Amino acid sequence: MLKVNQLMTAGALALGALASSVHAEDTVKVGVLHSLSGTMAISETSLRDVLLFTFDEINAKGGVLGKKIEPVVVDGASNWPLFAEKAKQLLEQDKVAVTFGCWTSVSRKSVLPVYEKNNGLLFYPVQYEGQEESQNVFYTAEAVNQQATPAIDYLLKQGYTKFYLIGTDYVYPQTTNLVLLEYLLSKGVALENIGGGFKKDDSGKIISAGKYTPFGHTDYQQIVAEIKQFSAGGKTAVVSTLNGDTNVPFFKEYAAAGLTADTAPVVSFSISEDEFRGLPAKQLVGQLGCWTYFQSIKSPANKAFVARFKKWLKTTTVPGIVKEDRVTCSPMVLSYDGVYLWKAAVEKAGSFDVDKVRAALKSGLSFDGPGGKVTTQPNMHLTKNVFIGETTAKGQFKILEEFKDVYGEPWLLGKFKAK
Amino acid sequence: MRTLTRFFSINLLFLATLVCASAAQAPRDTIIEAILAKDKARKIELIGSLVGESDEAIKPLLTAWKEDGLFVYQTPEGSVSILVMLAGEKDANDAQAALRIDNGQPLLDAAGKPVHLVGGDLTAVEHDAELRGAMKNVLDLLALATPDVVKRIQAIQAVGFSQDVEKIPALEKRLALETDSGARKSLREALAVTRLKASDADKLTAFNELKDLHSLSSYDLIRTAMRDAEKAGKPELAEAGAHALKAIDLHRTKINFFGTLFRGLSLGSILLIVAIGLAITFGLMGVINMAHGEMIAVGAYTTYLVENIFGTGITIPFFGFSLPIPGIHATGWFYQTYFMVALPLSFLTAALVGIALERSIIRFLYRRPLESLLATWGVSLLLQQALKLMFGSNNVQVSSPSYLSGNWTIDDITFGWNRIFVIGFAGLIVFGVWLILTKTSLGLLIRSVMQNRNMASCMGVRTERVNMLTFGLGSGLAGLAGAFISQIGNVGPSLGQNYIVDCFMTVVVGGVGNLAGTIYSALGIGLVDQSLQQILLNPVLGKILVLVAIILFLQWKPSGLFVTRSRNLDD
Amino acid sequence: MSSLSTRHKVELIAAGFISLFFIVIFPLLNAHGMVSDFTINLWGKYLCYALLAISVDLLWGYTGLLSLGQALFFSLGGYMMGMYLMRMIGDLGQYHKPIPDFLVFLGWTELPKFWKPFSSFPFAFSLILLLPGLLALVFGFLAFRSRIKGVYFSILTQALTYGASLMFFRNDMLMGGNNGFTDFKFILGHDLRSATTQRGLFIVTAIVLLLVYTSLRLLSHTKFGLVQRAIRDGENRVLFSGYATAHFKLFIFVIAALIASIGGALYVPQVGIINPSEMTPDKSLEAVVWCAVGGRGTLVGPIIGAISINSLKSWASRAAPDYWLVILGGLFVVVVLLLPGGIVSIPARLKSLWQRVTRQPSA
Repeated sequence: MLKVNQLMTAGALALGALASSVHAEDTVKVGVLHSLSGTMAISETSLRDVLLFTFDEINAKGGVLGKKIEPVVVDGASNWPLFAEKAKQLLEQDKVAVTFGCWTSVSRKSVLPVYEKNNGLLFYPVQYEGQEESQNVFYTAEAVNQQATPAIDYLLKQGYTKFYLIGTDYVYPQTTNLVLLEYLLSKGVALENIGGGFKKDDSGKIISAGKYTPFGHTDYQQIVAEIKQFSAGGKTAVVSTLNGDTNVPFFKEYAAAGLTADTAPVVSFSISEDEFRGLPAKQLVGQLGCWTYFQSIKSPANKAFVARFKKWLKTTTVPGIVKEDRVTCSPMVLSYDGVYLWKAAVEKAGSFDVDKVRAALKSGLSFDGPGGKVTTQPNMHLTKNVFIGETTAKGQFKILEEFKDVYGEPWLLGKFKAK
Repeated sequence: MRTLTRFFSINLLFLATLVCASAAQAPRDTIIEAILAKDKARKIELIGSLVGESDEAIKPLLTAWKEDGLFVYQTPEGSVSILVMLAGEKDANDAQAALRIDNGQPLLDAAGKPVHLVGGDLTAVEHDAELRGAMKNVLDLLALATPDVVKRIQAIQAVGFSQDVEKIPALEKRLALETDSGARKSLREALAVTRLKASDADKLTAFNELKDLHSLSSYDLIRTAMRDAEKAGKPELAEAGAHALKAIDLHRTKINFFGTLFRGLSLGSILLIVAIGLAITFGLMGVINMAHGEMIAVGAYTTYLVENIFGTGITIPFFGFSLPIPGIHATGWFYQTYFMVALPLSFLTAALVGIALERSIIRFLYRRPLESLLATWGVSLLLQQALKLMFGSNNVQVSSPSYLSGNWTIDDITFGWNRIFVIGFAGLIVFGVWLILTKTSLGLLIRSVMQNRNMASCMGVRTERVNMLTFGLGSGLAGLAGAFISQIGNVGPSLGQNYIVDCFMTVVVGGVGNLAGTIYSALGIGLVDQSLQQILLNPVLGKILVLVAIILFLQWKPSGLFVTRSRNLDD
Repeated sequence: MSSLSTRHKVELIAAGFISLFFIVIFPLLNAHGMVSDFTINLWGKYLCYALLAISVDLLWGYTGLLSLGQALFFSLGGYMMGMYLMRMIGDLGQYHKPIPDFLVFLGWTELPKFWKPFSSFPFAFSLILLLPGLLALVFGFLAFRSRIKGVYFSILTQALTYGASLMFFRNDMLMGGNNGFTDFKFILGHDLRSATTQRGLFIVTAIVLLLVYTSLRLLSHTKFGLVQRAIRDGENRVLFSGYATAHFKLFIFVIAALIASIGGALYVPQVGIINPSEMTPDKSLEAVVWCAVGGRGTLVGPIIGAISINSLKSWASRAAPDYWLVILGGLFVVVVLLLPGGIVSIPARLKSLWQRVTRQPSA
């Protein structure tokens, strides 16, 4: 009797698989693959929200090639094997035309083989470490030279001579810091002025630069004491690739030790307006950030975008969407840009077929997004403007400098030679 | 002849006054001229001429200029441009009172009424890095006399590190007048550091001075000067430099030692507050409460709510319905008391949640410790989800009150106020719990039920009530811990998960149900963890080694540090 | 006595049918396209989870030791298999270099020494058994020798898992760090991404599950099994009867670790990724949930529990992602409080309920 249970479940699953392969004629299925629960839900639910908003916006204007977008939203639950399973589901069962998704590099790396095997297309919107160029992923994300190196340029121009590297222990901070190490050395910064510690392999080559803490680490006392001693001589900046909620205990400890944006400013690459909502903004005034979009951009396109998104939030009936205190940030805007770029590519190619769409993307399409004009590149990355901003007490960024039309370059390791 | 000399002397005097008058051009006018000058070199020269002036208008004007606070105002009738500065509170239209730069008086319109302008509508006077550098020069030297000690020390350091030999007289002059000991030390350091760029004899005195001062901030500059001396082939200088560096290294070791001690104590205190509630519930009832972490989260969220109620109120996404919670708009010192109010409220809320949990689920699981572990884990998932649906899955901002921000620094060792508070409070809590357990009747009942539940019940003790109250006490203590954790870490739905493993370790090492054991264990784990972090300079390795050490420790003492002896074979 | 053998017979027949279905019919259906590749892959995963649940049950239901660290052994087996699979990628990775991708972007130019032997499958296979086995041996020896039991033991295993996950999350362990291992291409010469290989892996998993089930079934009928259950029910008395309970417990602990490890080794090629989040204490607790919900103290319970809860999870993360954790937590509380015997005990309870109802009128 118990085993019959199993038989029935097996049969039901098989039937279900058959049934779901039939879909309506006048819609096109589009996958949304993000973590709606778990540690990454904090950041990724905003991307789901902005994607649904974009689909509604496009559908209201007639859809893509006359077909309405039908979103298939799946929850990766911050569980990387589950991401792979969901990706398989989207491609093999739902047969989506394109997927917008992933945040952490782990999630992207775990779904990459699935997309390559099934020749799917994934749009990836979150700043990452580069060193990748898959033909099945379009990276609207910031490459290291569209976020990290411009920030370093700005700091060097302001006269900072010592840099302390700190990050969360995973591929994005590790790789970014190795690139930054080469970049700093190539700009004449001495090795002893780069803080955080180095790890060398047997031949003496540096394979890890900076201080690393795991996800969810809460005890920054000793590290902040170290930063205080390192920055005692002045002219020190902290380069932080700490991810997500480890920033809160770090900054609280930093403030308690008496460090401020005047004595040792911190430029954080993973804090956007969205993450700011959970941080003590009043204690973080004057710290730096670098993205390809800030909500405080004063362009009419951006103001209209923010207004439309907030209006959509008020009227949407999708369950689980938080409506209070919403902000827009770079990954959200890059998701938005990604959908429109895909639409443009489909319309140029005249078909949803992945190979044709890819060719259209590589040919160079432009879109006037809220962050300015973005243009697709043949190496599956995006040319966009880069902004350096300073945090304000309200959780927004005051824009200090803008670099226009920076070409996204993923292959940076080994490119900067020391003087 | 005399009339001629008189004539000439009068003329000379007149000329001299003219010259003096023009030389004594008011700093305001110099600044205006600098703003209007077209040539950048001229601008920098004019700004530079302000060095040594002590007009109190210089600082606000230059600071405003640097921060985009000086504007060009075009009068509505004519084409007259007046340079103004905006000051005062912003009114409902975002406008502020405008002050003329040339005389510091409010700008008046044609009818003689003060004009209010909106900063966003005006063009700010421009500046760039070079101008800012020139302004900084002036401001730094001005700042040597700032009334605020902290700013004064910062200014002194900035002047010192620029290693500009020309500034030595200004620094020496200030040293003669300076009374504050911290500022005196900074001045001596600044003088010594600047002298590193002067003659060799000066360098030698500088090295020795810096050795005596053992100031951390001059380390890099000493090192550079020492290297220069080595390259130039001056061994005595290089040796003096090496001695200075060694003195600073020694000082650093001392700082690290005391710093580690303090950090270990503070971490231990946090572990103690977090674990003491668990020790009580575990010891009393043999129930492992995996939802203990969520009690901590409940306390932290209560603090968040109290902070916002004292402020401007907040809207929470309560299970999908936006629930607005009004604020009482408190200000000043009354607002700062929010933390004091939050502490007992956190205790109460968590205690209530704990009691509810006990009445509904735990009381069925008293003789089944493994099942209680699992059931409470299920409850912890439910509570996490409930918190997520009540407050959103994002972390929420909780700020510290002013008396808990900042630190107390002696001799370069930093003691953060919030951590001092935690250590103090942990002591208070331990004392309080000890009082309850030993001096109150509730405590007596708790201890008797802990020793032999059945016997106590036979003696007429209402064990059910005791259970309920004890669980409430344990959860309430967790809530208190949550209030503290909100000051130093994240507040989010999964806050509890970060602390639960450490909590268990502390309780198990200390010996279940034992207050003294928990104290020693918490402090011990805290100190060992921080020491390992300092020695290995790696936060994770330290933690892993601590875990391994605990596992090995338990081989030696399987029931923890202090064992509650009982005659029962199965205990 | 005869009722026992009829029950025994029914069980044998049922087990035979189910195994036939899984090992033969299900894959045949897949080969003819009636069951999708996705489904067979999913069920392969479920069966691996069933192995993990069995290892938990072996310790908890049969010996009374609640181990919150079985996911660690599961992951270790997975990692050993993963290392072999990473070596099998050769130079087909993203960088087209002969060393794994994650080493390339960590700056390494040649393979670290401890990676080199993993290109041989026999070596990897022996390590799948040896590494978790040795760890279980050492840890178990230390724990059982000092008579650590009950809740302390559970918390210790939790600490062990937590410490191990912290270690594996570090990138300088050179085990993939947070990313773990992924992008596998070949196993034993077969292309991992082809449907036939996946089907083959499914069949192997089903066979292994059957073997484990039968051998444990046989074990529980021996004297060893009796002593095991006796330890669960009253360890002190077993001690007084002259048995060295620590040895028995150690033996079972190592066996359970090996079973979990094999489950992990089969899991990784089917799921395509292994990373340290598989060895966090949360995962172990989930395995305990499967065991509790299915019915501990039986061999069939964990299998049912693992399959049903994971199916529920796959469905819920699609249909009601916000409420999955509520469902899981609620389910757990309900099962522990009201249904301690799990799903497997439902027929017996229904039967007794029925008997009570039908017996009423006679009074």
